[in-house]
Amino acid sequence: MSHVTIETDTTASIITEHVTFHYGSAAGASSSSSERPTRDALNDVSLRVSPGECVVLCGRSGCGKTSYTRLANGLIPTFFAGELTGAHHTAGIPAGSPVDAFTPIVGSVFQNPKTQYFNADTTSELAFPCENMGMPADEIRRRLAETVRRFGIEPLLNRSVFRLSGGQKQRLAVAAATMLHPPIMVLDEPTGNLDARSIDELHGMIARLKESGTTVVIAEHRLAWCRDLADRFVVFEHGRVIGDYTARDFLVLSPETIMSMGLRALDMRPYRAVVEAKRHDVTVRNAADDETGPMLRTRMLRIGYGRRRGMIDPIGRGRPKRGEFLRDVPDLTLRAGRITALMGANGTGKSTLVRTLCGLLRPIGGAILWDGKPVRAAALTRRAFLVMQDVNYQLFADSVREELMLGLDENDSEIRRRCDRLLRDLDLETLADRHPMSLSGGEKQRTAIASALMCGKELIVLDEPTSGLDRFHMRQVGLLLQRLKRAGRIVVVVTHDEELAADWCDDVIDLDPVETSSSI
Amino acid sequence: MTQQDNATTTTTSSENAAKTKAATVARSGRLSVPDLITIGVFTALYFVLVAVATLISTVAFVGFASIFLPAIAALISGCVYMLLATKVGKFGAITVMGAVIGLFLFVSGHFVLSFIASIVFPVIADLIARAGAYRNRAGLLASYVVFSYGLTGPILPLWFMKDAYVASLQARGKDAAYIDGVFSHINTGTFVISMAAIAVCALAGGWFGQRVLRRHFVKAGIV
Amino acid sequence: MTAHPLALDPRTKLFLLLLANLLLFFHVHTHTEIMLVTLTLLPMLPAGRWRMALRLGATYAALVAVSCLVPADSPNPWLHLVALLAVGLRMMMPCLITGAYAFSTTKTSEFVCAMRRMRMPETIVIPCMVVIRFFPTIVQDYRQIRAAMALRGVAEGRFALVRHPMQSLEYVLVPLMMNAANVAQDLSVAALTKGLGRPGTHTSLTVIRMRPVDWLAMIVCATPLALDILGVL
Repeated sequence: MSHVTIETDTTASIITEHVTFHYGSAAGASSSSSERPTRDALNDVSLRVSPGECVVLCGRSGCGKTSYTRLANGLIPTFFAGELTGAHHTAGIPAGSPVDAFTPIVGSVFQNPKTQYFNADTTSELAFPCENMGMPADEIRRRLAETVRRFGIEPLLNRSVFRLSGGQKQRLAVAAATMLHPPIMVLDEPTGNLDARSIDELHGMIARLKESGTTVVIAEHRLAWCRDLADRFVVFEHGRVIGDYTARDFLVLSPETIMSMGLRALDMRPYRAVVEAKRHDVTVRNAADDETGPMLRTRMLRIGYGRRRGMIDPIGRGRPKRGEFLRDVPDLTLRAGRITALMGANGTGKSTLVRTLCGLLRPIGGAILWDGKPVRAAALTRRAFLVMQDVNYQLFADSVREELMLGLDENDSEIRRRCDRLLRDLDLETLADRHPMSLSGGEKQRTAIASALMCGKELIVLDEPTSGLDRFHMRQVGLLLQRLKRAGRIVVVVTHDEELAADWCDDVIDLDPVETSSSI
Repeated sequence: MTQQDNATTTTTSSENAAKTKAATVARSGRLSVPDLITIGVFTALYFVLVAVATLISTVAFVGFASIFLPAIAALISGCVYMLLATKVGKFGAITVMGAVIGLFLFVSGHFVLSFIASIVFPVIADLIARAGAYRNRAGLLASYVVFSYGLTGPILPLWFMKDAYVASLQARGKDAAYIDGVFSHINTGTFVISMAAIAVCALAGGWFGQRVLRRHFVKAGIV
Repeated sequence: MTAHPLALDPRTKLFLLLLANLLLFFHVHTHTEIMLVTLTLLPMLPAGRWRMALRLGATYAALVAVSCLVPADSPNPWLHLVALLAVGLRMMMPCLITGAYAFSTTKTSEFVCAMRRMRMPETIVIPCMVVIRFFPTIVQDYRQIRAAMALRGVAEGRFALVRHPMQSLEYVLVPLMMNAANVAQDLSVAALTKGLGRPGTHTSLTVIRMRPVDWLAMIVCATPLALDILGVL
């Protein structure tokens, strides 16, 4: 095994010349429905990354930035098969070499924290690349200690990966990818669904990598977090490189220009100010408490879960399964015809709260009032709907139309008419006979919401509906929220997305990590 | 390794890739790492369904719980089998699934013969499915029926039970001929019934699985 | 990284499993069986599984009691059925005990390392790793799906699963399998980029070693069986 000093030589660069690629239908290529582009995923791309450079590839979804990362780490064209023309070398290794050949050269981090680890415990995951390289146990142990020191991830050692939060999983993924000291790191939308603190920690890790001379390539459309890391910004569109900026040139572009590229804001401060103002308004209005109309209120609500209480879903996202969770929630008022953003760091109980509001968890104490009358969990489940972050779990039927009709009488002409109207309203008409799983993420979301409206749900909760979405798709979600609002539903959005909250939500509730919350 | 499609026109790689063939050969006929991972994922699902079947048969047939275990498992796991066989579509997938199940059964304290049963039957099932190129519906159904007998391993010890009981009676100095007589027909009867039940349930489960495969996975473009 | 001085090597556990299986073939005397069961329960104690040992030991004792208490010449066939069951389950207990011990005290990494040391082909090792990795995901997915079903009002209530078993099975299995197919692809990508497909020896961070205590455990446990078969005990 060669050592760090030897590996960071001049070969640590990526050279791409006139590469065009489109995904073939071969087995092993993407089976997930969302990525089956009809046009070229990469179209005459030429790019050069110098050693030690940090390049951010940006552009709207499907622009080719992810495909480029796959080219860089060797997954294209061997794993994701297809037709490739042009020349590409990653540190001297040509495209088309087995993925194995890239392993010691390129460390890869992917978007989904849940599926990018292969081992069930953290230490094994860190050791995994070294084990595959056939390093002796002593050497692996040495590298493990060194990596742990380098990134300060001691608390993550010897734990079940399933009990880590999304942010911790992503830090583990970065650490594991550096175990072989690769001169190049490739990250594909690593912050997809992280809260601000986790993003900060990830930022710190990448800054350290950059300091040590590692070449870093990040595909990302959320730019705010990596603005100070990047040396260059490369903008993709329809598989082409349409702009190659130095950091200095890019950072002075107007917010409108950035937006028109389909990118998320470079500067979050204006959004943060709006969010803060909306949050303040809520406090004021609730103090006045003058509005009428259908609404959902909580009184002295205490939420939580534990092993002993009977409940449908004891697993909140990213929460340690062991132990119990308990917290008091400040009294909330959720009104029909308003969009309420529920914000706050991971671990403050946002998921637990919305699960309680949907009746999937029973409140530990206090009451939930609907139009002033207390409601039980079962009644809430009938009136509420939760659009899960992973909407795949919520689609059961074999066509979009069937999905809407599920459990309803298909012979009732009134119901059929309602179904048709909903399909039209949510732009699902042309997709009515498609299988829900063959749809894109946004279309799946709309199908799930249509099914909820079909059952006459009054409270619609969306859990992180914009995680990993570019500007265009975020706007689509925003329009959908507005549509639900006009239909007079109570709309609640659990989100970390300040742009969504600022631009599309009426009220903002910040669930602080208050003192009353306690983990037992 | 991966499905290295030789048809791809990788002008860059043509000269160098051939030299880097130190990696595992990626002939389309052999199981690649992604194939093995797919097998692992579906084996885990199958294993969970076997656990569910154990639970059902324990509740439904208290005591002689495991006699109908293979039948119930055959009834509910057709989908998983059909999807795996179709998705991987190479010789070995079914065999490996059987072997891994056998290994886990053995390590979790099941009878060692169950390991052998869960290799022999899947190999035959694999051969049958291969004859139909992993596409022929009747072939897959037949292969699923055979595969389902692979789970008879855990119930084999039941046939030892009577012997053990008779032996324990004899050890206490009793004449066991009477007992032998009482249980002999129960033994043969249950054996025939449980074996027939496997075939019937496997046919039903396999048919159901193929229907789900067509309605959902083919339509959604997964296979 | 240092193991408990009395923790056994995975291969020793495998040997004990085989030994327990041999008990099924040979009808050993009750006292030999009791001796072996006690011996196989012992290693659970240093592993901190005393509760498990206690529970299994109590179950075994109850089974022995039942099978011995039923009078052998009772004309009641139901009594014999009970005794038959007790004897049958008793017979399985050594396997179950060693299995429970092996399963609950072996870390995944040790198991994988042991398999590789025993020259198990990667074709078996990789799916085994994936099975262990994927189990918790199935549990989490299942919970999500049940919550989603409750929200949609499909297969609601405790008895829906019983009344419409195939329909409910489809509702649960289809999302599970869809997710499984996606996870299989993501795991493949993660594994390939980390070099799982590399030829040559794959080493292990976990060191497993046969120590004197392993040999001792093997000999001590094999002796009663051998003596019984030879007719000494």
